[in-house]
Amino acid sequence: MKRALALFCIGLASAQDFHPHFYNAAKEAGLTAPIPNGGNTSKEFIIETTGSGVAFIDYDNDGLADIFIASGPGSPSRMYHNEGNGKFRDVSAALGFTREGWAQGVCAGDFDNDGYTDLFVTYWGQNALYRNVGGKRFEDVTAKMHLTQDRTRYNTGCAFIDYDNDGKLDLFVANYLKFDFNSTPKPGANPYCFYRGIAVNCGPRGLPFDRNILYHNEGSAFRDVSDASGISQPDGTYSLGVLTGDFNNDGLTDIYVAGDQTPSILYLNQGNGKFIDEALIRGVALDDNGKAMSGMGVTAADYLHDGLTSIFRTNFSDELETLYRNIGKGEFRDVTTEAGLGKNTRYVGWGCGFFDFDNDGWPDLLLVNGHAFPEVDKLKIDIHYRERAILYRNDHGKFTDISESAGPAILETHSSRGLAFADYDNDGTLKALINNQNEPPSLLRQSKPSANHWLEIKLEGVTSNRSAIGARVKLTSGNLVQTDEVRSGGSYLSQSDLRLHFGLGSSTKIDMLEITWPAGNKQTETNITADKLLTIREHQ
Amino acid sequence: MPVINIIFVLALYAQCEPTPVGDKRLAGLAQAQCLIAAKRFAEAGPIVAQLEKDFPSDPDVLYVSAGYHMKAWNDVIYRMYQNAPASYRVDQLSAEVFETQGKYTEAVAEYRKAIAKNPLAIDLHYRLGRAILQQSHDPAALEQARKEFEAELKLNPADAVAEYQVAQILTAEQNKAEAQKHFERAAELSPDFPEALIAVAKLRSDDKRYPDAIALLERATKVQPRNETAHYNLMLAYRAAGRTADAQREKTELDKLQKPPEGEFSNFLKKLGDKN
Repeated sequence: MKRALALFCIGLASAQDFHPHFYNAAKEAGLTAPIPNGGNTSKEFIIETTGSGVAFIDYDNDGLADIFIASGPGSPSRMYHNEGNGKFRDVSAALGFTREGWAQGVCAGDFDNDGYTDLFVTYWGQNALYRNVGGKRFEDVTAKMHLTQDRTRYNTGCAFIDYDNDGKLDLFVANYLKFDFNSTPKPGANPYCFYRGIAVNCGPRGLPFDRNILYHNEGSAFRDVSDASGISQPDGTYSLGVLTGDFNNDGLTDIYVAGDQTPSILYLNQGNGKFIDEALIRGVALDDNGKAMSGMGVTAADYLHDGLTSIFRTNFSDELETLYRNIGKGEFRDVTTEAGLGKNTRYVGWGCGFFDFDNDGWPDLLLVNGHAFPEVDKLKIDIHYRERAILYRNDHGKFTDISESAGPAILETHSSRGLAFADYDNDGTLKALINNQNEPPSLLRQSKPSANHWLEIKLEGVTSNRSAIGARVKLTSGNLVQTDEVRSGGSYLSQSDLRLHFGLGSSTKIDMLEITWPAGNKQTETNITADKLLTIREHQ
Repeated sequence: MPVINIIFVLALYAQCEPTPVGDKRLAGLAQAQCLIAAKRFAEAGPIVAQLEKDFPSDPDVLYVSAGYHMKAWNDVIYRMYQNAPASYRVDQLSAEVFETQGKYTEAVAEYRKAIAKNPLAIDLHYRLGRAILQQSHDPAALEQARKEFEAELKLNPADAVAEYQVAQILTAEQNKAEAQKHFERAAELSPDFPEALIAVAKLRSDDKRYPDAIALLERATKVQPRNETAHYNLMLAYRAAGRTADAQREKTELDKLQKPPEGEFSNFLKKLGDKN
């Protein structure tokens, strides 16, 4: 019997009227410093391939999202202050960001509930918890908060999560694999060190697995509860992107982790301090052929307006990206092809995010790409180290690839990794920040945004954690009903602005906002006008 | 000099007669090597087969067997190129070699040459379609490949795999209704074709016809007990049908199938992990 092959799909032109025009505003914004990340034409070790994330975080509470960019050796990770008028200023040294190393992921949350958003940066090596001191500087409190690790670990994605809803943010840290420069084989050393016949860095297959970590916030310090909680149980996943969310609508935050060449993990929160991985039976571990993909980045949205949080994951070249539709009760179905996705199979996808670029109320989807191996360019095939981004428009739950007509920034080629979103100038449109390997970052914004209306919401917990991470919002505006959730981490090792953004189409009024706080209490706000930033504090 | 080489030399002097050595393994190895060196492949074949049967994990036996197959293959190819250089089979073979090397552009060109020489040959259009899909991620490749699979079906309307490929492409092109017809035809043509059974089962699941889906998937797992796709989709179909215990059983089966193979290399990797 002849073997059947996986097939590759094509893109179709959008029928929508509004055509976005994204351009790269990084240079004019002052984001010109390259982000070192290993070799540019060849990479000897896997640590050079995984790159690093980016974050939008308003560290000084001035209402303008600032920028943090994680970096490999050769530069410290940098913090840029948002000066207004679309300009950013490098304030890394002044704020205390001087450390160099293999920075990987970044996630934000106010772990000490002092009203200033703190930052956690993962490394191959010791992670760093930076406490935000009044918006003036960041103090490395890693050791003080008992987060020092007893060996060198390859930490990747992270997220603050209040898994026990005690009002204090806990911390989840994904681990990729066990790696060190001395014992890891060199390119070509064994069958796991080749790609299409050329010698490349070894892994992840062939390198030893490691386990993920959960730290419980005890107030004065964090405590490793990985074993007691069941987080360390899955033993066989190369973990990268981390996504949190209440995927089975039981009021408890769950954790989804993208597995690279291994099944992805869905830690379902049991509500008693324990998690159980149910990814396989719930249909989010593999693709619809039962095969493990090379999962990198992850994002989630109620993309169908059915009140359920679906999951999207980027994968490797010659694999389809994966959209798992939440069909209720925390069960999922792979709907990649029928949703109009899976049309781009030559890209290695990393950062990804649902964002409503045209404010029509339907979350669209941006993916950034770049091959793991620079050596692939030697093959002279249609797969390249530097690739363009992909922009899908969401038309009532069906996606259309509009990359070719969405402006020059989408078509610029880079080897991109991290991706995050924020409306950093508060004009009502979301912008995208991208971490490019060995190049300056990209900052995507539209030259002529849609005239649709919008609302941005900043939630402040009181009984719940101050950052309101885990809070869910249901917005009703006429017939448009949308839901979203405040999340730490996500995309590929990145952090988007903690404020929620809703497109409203032609509506100028929001009939009702229903907020479910992590503490379990519900709050309703009515008759809200559109086109503004709204801060909502948790009622006591 | 290693023992095996000494015996090999002795065997050569003995004109590849069975060597008077008591050890069955060494004697077989020596005679096989001698016959392979003398290009007496027809005689070497049964000896190699017997060695593999008697010593299935012996690295020396496997090494000699690999050498036998490689040299025998090379010998036949050489004769083919010598005796029938203009045959479409030469182009087909070149294409297949390019495919194994991942040189799909070259493979496509060779398949086209073969088809030009013999447009009615079975399997060429199918292989060309497959190589086109491998060659390029360009959207146009899908349509080109579909035309080749359809050309194959004209020559051989009973080709279930070509039907399946057409259906796959139609699915990718969002033409689910047309795809469904081709998936069903593939399953009719070849009732033991697991991929077709799985594809039809997925369609039944989409229509919430779970008992039908389950029947098809149970059949697929029976036909191919190690087919992970079949087990995975059966697990999901049981789940959708509310048969939780059956779904858990399939999950266990799938876990077993997806466990990395045990062996020397895996052990080496485990040791590497233990160092940290």
